[in-house]
Amino acid sequence: MKGRPKLYTDYQKEMAIFNTATQKVWALVGLVSLIISSFFFSQYWMYLITTALLVSVAAWGLNIVSGFAGQISLAHGVFIGIGAYVSSVLGGVGSSYIRGYELDMLIWLPLAGIVPALVGLMIAPLAVRLKGLNLGLVTLGLVYIASFIFSNWKSVTGGAGVGRKTAQLKIFGINFNDGLHLGSYHIEKNQFIFFLSLLLFLLAGAGVKNLMRSKIGRAYAAIRDRDIAAEAIGINLYRFKASAFALSSFYAGVAGSLLFLMSGGVAPSQFGLVYSVTFIAIVIIGGAGTILGPLFGAVFFSLMPGAIKYFLSFFEGFGEQLPLHPTQIERLIFSLLLIGFLIFEPRGLWGIWFRLRNYFKAWPFSY
Amino acid sequence: MTIFLQASFEGIALGAVYSLVAIGFVLIYKAMDVLSFAQPAMAVVGAGIISALAVDKGVPFWIAFVIALIATGLLSALLERVFLRPMIGQPVFSVAILTIGLDILLRTVLDDWIGLAPRFMGDPIVSWGEMGAKEVGGVIIKFQQMGALITAITAVLFLGYFFKVSKYGLAMRATSFDQEASLAQGINVGRIFSLVWFIAGILAAFAGFFITGGFNLLTQTSFISALRALPAVVIGGLDSIPGAIVGSLIIGLTQGYVAYYQFPFEKITGLTLGSGFSLLAPYLIMFVILIIKPNGLFGTEEVERV
Repeated sequence: MKGRPKLYTDYQKEMAIFNTATQKVWALVGLVSLIISSFFFSQYWMYLITTALLVSVAAWGLNIVSGFAGQISLAHGVFIGIGAYVSSVLGGVGSSYIRGYELDMLIWLPLAGIVPALVGLMIAPLAVRLKGLNLGLVTLGLVYIASFIFSNWKSVTGGAGVGRKTAQLKIFGINFNDGLHLGSYHIEKNQFIFFLSLLLFLLAGAGVKNLMRSKIGRAYAAIRDRDIAAEAIGINLYRFKASAFALSSFYAGVAGSLLFLMSGGVAPSQFGLVYSVTFIAIVIIGGAGTILGPLFGAVFFSLMPGAIKYFLSFFEGFGEQLPLHPTQIERLIFSLLLIGFLIFEPRGLWGIWFRLRNYFKAWPFSY
Repeated sequence: MTIFLQASFEGIALGAVYSLVAIGFVLIYKAMDVLSFAQPAMAVVGAGIISALAVDKGVPFWIAFVIALIATGLLSALLERVFLRPMIGQPVFSVAILTIGLDILLRTVLDDWIGLAPRFMGDPIVSWGEMGAKEVGGVIIKFQQMGALITAITAVLFLGYFFKVSKYGLAMRATSFDQEASLAQGINVGRIFSLVWFIAGILAAFAGFFITGGFNLLTQTSFISALRALPAVVIGGLDSIPGAIVGSLIIGLTQGYVAYYQFPFEKITGLTLGSGFSLLAPYLIMFVILIIKPNGLFGTEEVERV
């Protein structure tokens, strides 16, 4: 079968995680170059890349519930917040007015996923009863209820405008907070978080891909395309909608627990509506219902601040005369991109990539 | 009893402000099946234009007010023409997200302009009576709240008349019933869309003024008040104007009562509900009502075919 990569002799091969040799090669090249580059990039860019990895894990989570199962969730940021707070309480250092149990990461990392998943299960009955816009509006209400709880539950979150410190990085009793000496080599805390995130990213990616190849993924797609028809062919709507919400929240929670480790602090005001909308934008701009899409979107969004900063550094004196802050420029570009992609390229970056790939694959023919 | 009356009056007045935004939501939803999250931002746009003209440029307040109403309406119609017209036929959710994008866009520009210090509206209402208020039987009635109430009632009566009697009102009703059929009957559906957004923009600008006028001032968080019309619309049902009004009154009254009775309640029961609970209450009510009636109190149930 050499030289005929698109000829599949059985179904197993076609449904493989990487179903062509090219994909395998590029995935490996990407992974190796990412690991090697982690030793050369500056702190700032490492921070952005790690964020990109974690944000794509969270975006995959949203993609499960909104892209695959077709249930609108405007409250994804809330689950990220719950994950961040669970990890902070279990792994953080307590004080007289803030709770913290200084537990091992092996305990708080799974729990940071499980607790949001349980909360996700709790809102699942709503998802079964409502559909479309009304579901979106209820999840919007959830954002406001959650930010109210986050700002008022002071022993857990530190309260509005104050915030708290995140979990300590302690694995098997070894504390990584000040880095670690391995012989003569010194591993920084953030570098360690990068590798941790990379591992999580790979696991999460494999998880999403496998989910989509399985019975559950096909059931989600059926519910997305027509829920009544799906029910008619014997799909238990309640069970699958609930599991979609739970899985999505699990991804969000785990990503959230690591996402705020690098900056070291987390404040209730971070989990507002805009934060949740950012993730919707990431999924839409990347390409909803695809696996590579949220990854594209997350990388694009997480690296954008760095790119804008880099770009503005060329206009040293000019930058100060700008009427807008870099964060505002970021937000403007963000909203314009969101609008632009929805109008002109609903399939997102993935759609652009798909067309490019097919163009070169068929070259010099146009079909 | 006085406290109860005071809370009721303030609640109804708040409900009137919300209903102005809420009717805009419903009009747009009925005409286009679009839920415009940009509506709260339009309210702030209206307030911003008033403040810019009346305070910064020194235009007489009432002229600035009228200009702001029309300008907001036109901007709203323009947004529809540029951003929403190409989205016709797209999934409802995509369009809703697009309007969130518009909302962020408008608010980023507005926040930059407003800055950190609150802005005055330059309205003369605060100088009427005693600090813009009058006491009637122990209840303090602010002229601004009275104005909101009168505006809302006038707007509802006018719109009701407009839909019943005028040619465009009839065309609007036809469009909301079936876009293609009304197109086939010679109705310019595009113009109807523009008109609907124009009206919604004007209503939003009115609401914007009543939210920020007087001693309330225009800040970066003013839009949150306008956003509370959203649970109101959901409670009433997305496609029902009476529903929008009832929903707004429910939300307004709840907020009024919570604001006045939360502290005594906490004192008696020993529970603490936390600061800002009155802002949360609308969403809790929305939750409960949606679980019981998924289409809202007055919304029409959607008939689905496979």
